[in-house]
Amino acid sequence: MPTLVGVFSQAAPVAALARRLRDRGFGDLEVYSPVPAHELDAALDEKPSRVRLWTLIGGLTGMVTGFVMTIWMSYDFPITVGGKALASIPPYVVISFELTILFGGVLTVLGFFWVGGLPYGRFGKPDATYSPRFSAEDFGLVVRCEDRDVAEVDGLFRAHDAKEVTLVEA
Amino acid sequence: MTPPPAMSVAAMMRPPTQAPESPANRDLLAVMGRPSLYYWLLLIFLVVFVHAVGAVWLFQVYKGLGIAGYKHPVFWGVYIVTFVFWVGIAHAGTLISAILYLFRSKWRNAINRSAEAMTVFAVLTAAQFLGIHVGRIWKSYFILPYPNQRGLWVNFKSPLVWDTFAISTYATISILFLFVGLIPDIAIARDRSTGWRRLLYTALSFGWVGTAKQWKAFNRAVLHLSGLATPLVLSVHSVVSWDFAMSIVPTWHSTIFAPYFVAGAIFSGFAMVLTVMIPVRRIFALEAYITEYHLENMARFILLTSLIVGYSYGMEFFMAWYSGSEFERSAWWYRAFGDYWISAWVMISCNAIFPNILWFKWARTNVTILFIVSVLVNIGMWFERYVIIVIGLSHEFNPDVWNHYLPSLPELTILAGSFAFFAMFFVIFIKLFPVVAIAEVKELVIHEKAHHGGGAVAHGEMH
Repeated sequence: MPTLVGVFSQAAPVAALARRLRDRGFGDLEVYSPVPAHELDAALDEKPSRVRLWTLIGGLTGMVTGFVMTIWMSYDFPITVGGKALASIPPYVVISFELTILFGGVLTVLGFFWVGGLPYGRFGKPDATYSPRFSAEDFGLVVRCEDRDVAEVDGLFRAHDAKEVTLVEA
Repeated sequence: MTPPPAMSVAAMMRPPTQAPESPANRDLLAVMGRPSLYYWLLLIFLVVFVHAVGAVWLFQVYKGLGIAGYKHPVFWGVYIVTFVFWVGIAHAGTLISAILYLFRSKWRNAINRSAEAMTVFAVLTAAQFLGIHVGRIWKSYFILPYPNQRGLWVNFKSPLVWDTFAISTYATISILFLFVGLIPDIAIARDRSTGWRRLLYTALSFGWVGTAKQWKAFNRAVLHLSGLATPLVLSVHSVVSWDFAMSIVPTWHSTIFAPYFVAGAIFSGFAMVLTVMIPVRRIFALEAYITEYHLENMARFILLTSLIVGYSYGMEFFMAWYSGSEFERSAWWYRAFGDYWISAWVMISCNAIFPNILWFKWARTNVTILFIVSVLVNIGMWFERYVIIVIGLSHEFNPDVWNHYLPSLPELTILAGSFAFFAMFFVIFIKLFPVVAIAEVKELVIHEKAHHGGGAVAHGEMH
């Protein structure tokens, strides 16, 4: 299947072109970006990233773990310290707070790997359409299409300020 | 529209042109280039020094804590002082990475990586001192709540247990923060390296190619880590301050300790970032990336936090006088004019007086002055913890047990070793990983290109 790789120097035209191609029914798109360009976040997928679900679950798990652990341990071996209640909540808030952050942070990173699809590709072999220029200063848009659509996609690329369009068989 | 014949598709195939390399990649990866002789000498010196100090520590483990300068009633000395000092240093990285990220302060991009790395290394250095301080290192895991034959759990009402949780969470989160931020930059290095470096970077980049999906997850993860790290960074030094404030020792038992410690931590952290980055910027010719603008902004942070710290010093003395408490008044008089007056005045002058030169723009933009101020602040902040801990303990309520503490030679050696330990990690890091966040710096470069119609980008103007 022919694959077109367009090279751009800005993120905005890539985002606009990706939307336009999707509207025309080209679903098999891929974007390469050298920088965290927020314009591109919604270009291929408007839904908010699911990393937030991981953070939420991690944070809540940590909070509950903090309280359950401290309260249970206080009653498992009851020692009265300083005449305070066996399970006194104010000091346990500190433990629970730290575990909220710890579990939330660890699950955020795991979520980043899961949602972002890392590890990506076969070990040490990047995509055939990838080139080191996309870790320099160029943005790339990859479209897989039928033979008959090549001319149309090529035209759209050039209408959106593509510096260069390459056709590869990948 | 009639589809073009297959022949024309083949005709459109053309080899890709050679893309020009990004100047930011070239300049910033150059830092990781072949190390000079001086680099090797420095690294060898640091490694040897760290091991020699490790031998001193082993000697202390063998002989016991008696070789430290502890004298009743002062059983918290240089080790705890140095622990608090390094935890404080660790605060700048997360502040720059997380809080300034949430405030969308783009100027952080040039310094966030080195500050994050310093955070990790400073926390590792600080964590050593907990083990060094407890003496019987083989029992230090008792602080963790683990199932044991005695059926006993730790005392969660103790600030020392809170501190364990705070420090270990902080170490974990700052390592994750540094690592996640490094992935795109490791991919940049992977695309431009050969041999063992290529293998290492291929493994550590997890196949990162910067697809929209990857960046979207990345941006979200960094946002959430920043959101989590912001309350964390404020909590860590608050918890450290409660190690003191929860006790009844005069000069410790104070409600302003948490904000006062957090401001002091940010103050010392920014000073350490300047102390390290000014030579690094000079040696590796990074003036185009870490500009005077960045240094000036950091100088402003130092000035602001210096004012908060100075205010806290004044307020502590005011409260001692205003409370009418005899013990407080006597303890504070002793702090300023007693046996340890030199430490107290080093602290006040280095932290609250000298940084006031940064009110002037000529001082904020003068690299030499900034460097000198940052070193003085580091000295002053070490003495601040010395003043709080040692003076507080040596003059408690009962005059019969008042005594003097002076650091012993092994303690001072291990203190010196902590700087070598910190520097060793940083020196290794600088050659293995990009010391400036390349992808984020390029974000500004590409943004500038869009607004100035391409062509030459003045890196010095990157704000």
